[in-house]
Amino acid sequence: MKRVQIALIAVGVGLLLVGGVTMLNDVAPKNYVGILIWFAGAIIIHDGIASFAVLALGIAMRRLGQRFRVPLGAIIIVQGAIVLGAIMALIVFPEIIKKSIGRANPTLLPLDYGLNLAIFYAVLAVLTGAALAVYFVVTRRQKVRPLSSQA
Amino acid sequence: MWHLQRLLHSMSQALAAPARNPRMTVVIGRLLGAAFLICFATGLYSHFLQDPLPWMLFPSRPIWLYQLSQGIHITAGIVCFPLLFAKLYTVFPELFSTPPVRSFGHFLERASIALFVAASLVQITTGLLNTYQWYALFPFPFRQTHYALSFVIVGSLAIHIAVKLQTITQYWSKKNSYEDDGETLVAAINPHVSTSPNKPAIDTQPYAGVTGRIVNWIEATPKPAPTPSRRGFLVIVGAVSAALVTLTAGQSFRVLDATNVFAPRKNNVGPNSLPINRTAKAAKVTDTAMDADWALTVSNGTTAVAFTRADLLALPQYEAELPIACVEGWSQMASWKGPRLRDLADAVGAASGDTLRAISLEQNSIYARTTVFPQYVRDGLTLVALEVNGETLDLDHGYPARLIAPGRPGVLQTKWLSSIEVLK
Repeated sequence: MKRVQIALIAVGVGLLLVGGVTMLNDVAPKNYVGILIWFAGAIIIHDGIASFAVLALGIAMRRLGQRFRVPLGAIIIVQGAIVLGAIMALIVFPEIIKKSIGRANPTLLPLDYGLNLAIFYAVLAVLTGAALAVYFVVTRRQKVRPLSSQA
Repeated sequence: MWHLQRLLHSMSQALAAPARNPRMTVVIGRLLGAAFLICFATGLYSHFLQDPLPWMLFPSRPIWLYQLSQGIHITAGIVCFPLLFAKLYTVFPELFSTPPVRSFGHFLERASIALFVAASLVQITTGLLNTYQWYALFPFPFRQTHYALSFVIVGSLAIHIAVKLQTITQYWSKKNSYEDDGETLVAAINPHVSTSPNKPAIDTQPYAGVTGRIVNWIEATPKPAPTPSRRGFLVIVGAVSAALVTLTAGQSFRVLDATNVFAPRKNNVGPNSLPINRTAKAAKVTDTAMDADWALTVSNGTTAVAFTRADLLALPQYEAELPIACVEGWSQMASWKGPRLRDLADAVGAASGDTLRAISLEQNSIYARTTVFPQYVRDGLTLVALEVNGETLDLDHGYPARLIAPGRPGVLQTKWLSSIEVLK
């Protein structure tokens, strides 16, 4: 294991050097500040804001689930829908904004992304409802006739 | 400060969600590592196709090679979003490891991880923004930075794997990761693993004050059952990845065109039923390209022949079904028509091993001059296209004539040809 680790670190340091030298050669020093700001911004937005929001959401949903006796499976289904909706928004919202402020040509961002996202959310809501319905039907049946394989 | 520390500590206990365990980190990490390596390999291929080192040789066949490699590059890059978020979710409690720095080695480890995470987030974000050319948002050149950061990321990945190798090996297989009741086995080899849900709270007395109430509230939160929670987590990651691919990859893969509702490009949208990357107006060639006196000059040393568009149309015409495949990931098959490049090269006495240079009417662009290596020149599918999809080439697609060759990125399919030189 030690040998593998040393080899990996050697490869890693080598690649970091290539990256560093490439940066020095190909990117003008005046741009370094911008890159560092983006690095810091990425850490602040992800580690400082987004992950805490996710944590708070997770805890809040667990609490709500406890108060209203919602089973874990149902919570997971709803959480999945929220995560899917949020990540899709993250990908699609910038497209909507970029299209509204102007694009290089009409074949770039040609779709109606706002409308498509609304349709996506409607479909997601229906699918989530259907998944919850299936989940409750299945778990109720299991309660009525407990399967021996569940033990 | 004391309260804050206690809050953080308590939070790290509450953070012990079932999906936050080393086994899950390994499972997601393997997928993310694979996605990074796929992006790196396809990215290098694309880079060196455009800037080859002297010894490099690229095949012109199969015709869909670049379409496939770059489609995979962009699609895998998009899938990195859910995978990277999931990976960071599983290790979130590590942010609060106490003490924050144990030793110089530990400091280096945390610093390298910070660099790794920051570079990865910036890489996939700017990569996505680049697919719809939103350059104004970041104050650095995209291509050069993207290239340099790719080495930083893969180098950091290698170091990260080396540092975590013991954990990775221990949790590589499911069998060695969980106890019978579904709880994660604590790593005996690494006393600093802080993600064990079994670990009791160090301080159990009730907390006071505002932070205390938050702490109590968090700690009173019930712990979910481990096995369904973990399965649920994996299903969510899989569902998000599948949804992203289904709804965006149609820009690169025809089979998903019907469900392409979120990609920045759509098949068949544009003049000649083809999307455009750079318009004639943006390239400032509107006047020169429409000039009635336009002629394509083909030269070999002192021999030079000028072909008007009528001359080119009078040459034997060939049809080629070739994709236009952009570095930004979108691609589309099209039906091109025009004389073969090799016939033009032969008209000025080029040898079969000669390399050509294609020069555009466009000025001041690094893509205005491209090198065409012999394997492309001699390929019967390489055309000086005058028509596409049964129509005269649109001005935005390179009228009066453009280069189209199999296996080359769109930026090298020189539009608005002005001259072709045999390089000696």
